[in-house]
Amino acid sequence: MKFSLPRQVLILAALSLVPGVGQAIYFRDKISWQSPIPPSEMVSADQAREWGDTTVWIDARPDDEFARDHVPGAVSLNEDRWNELLPQFLAVWSPGKKVVVYCSAQSCDLAREVAERLRKEAQLPDVFVLEGGWEAWVKKNR
Amino acid sequence: MRFSLGNFLWRILDLIIAAIFIYAGVLKALDPVQLAHDIDHYKTLPWAVGVGLAFYLPWLEIFCGLALIFRLFYRGALSILTLLVVVFLGATIAAKVRGLDITCGCFGHASQNWSFPTHLALDLGILATLAVLCYCSVARARASASPMPTS
Repeated sequence: MKFSLPRQVLILAALSLVPGVGQAIYFRDKISWQSPIPPSEMVSADQAREWGDTTVWIDARPDDEFARDHVPGAVSLNEDRWNELLPQFLAVWSPGKKVVVYCSAQSCDLAREVAERLRKEAQLPDVFVLEGGWEAWVKKNR
Repeated sequence: MRFSLGNFLWRILDLIIAAIFIYAGVLKALDPVQLAHDIDHYKTLPWAVGVGLAFYLPWLEIFCGLALIFRLFYRGALSILTLLVVVFLGATIAAKVRGLDITCGCFGHASQNWSFPTHLALDLGILATLAVLCYCSVARARASASPMPTS
């Protein structure tokens, strides 16, 4: 049986949907359709503040932005100087503390990447990304 | 049989392109979460669309690769793959122009450290090969449609 070109394209496109949908169902808990960061790995500014002294804040923005302003008590840890800054962060971290990482805004990837590296490379539990980033913190606290 | 060498080379090219897309598709299908993030790095599509593509595109590549191997929906597969490569190429160039430091995610983690010229060369090579396959397919269809010469 011979199919026209548009029909061939449609059949292949439709066939690919089947495993694609199946995989989307299988991975439904591992990825959020709303945000690159799963809700379980995010924390709001209010909630992070409620954690009080048990929180270690990490500023994942570049050095110049950290130098300009940052969350009080935050430690700078960015990917540009990861090896240099990681020991400084580990010096203030202790087991049981929650880590909250932020970058400039909700749309930036730096916080997510730093949080992921802390979980994978430093094997730290309780690492969260601040919802809305630095912008959200400024709105809530200034 | 006429054009047997040509047919042989055509088949080899088919298999090479099919293998590339099946390999790339399987690598990406194994880690759709990473692919969604790779697509997001291009900063051209909403996150939800990127997630949808991350689940869909790898399978489209795999099915098109299989279609080339089994010569089933052959022209459809060639058309889809050519369109995909053109889109990848355009997105890669656009990202470079916009100064984005991205990984294309084309071959999962294997391509994470590839440079822009490497991406470009690979995409252009695949596109050129697809163009040759399209030409062969059209030429074959025309030859089989024309009446056989009588001697």
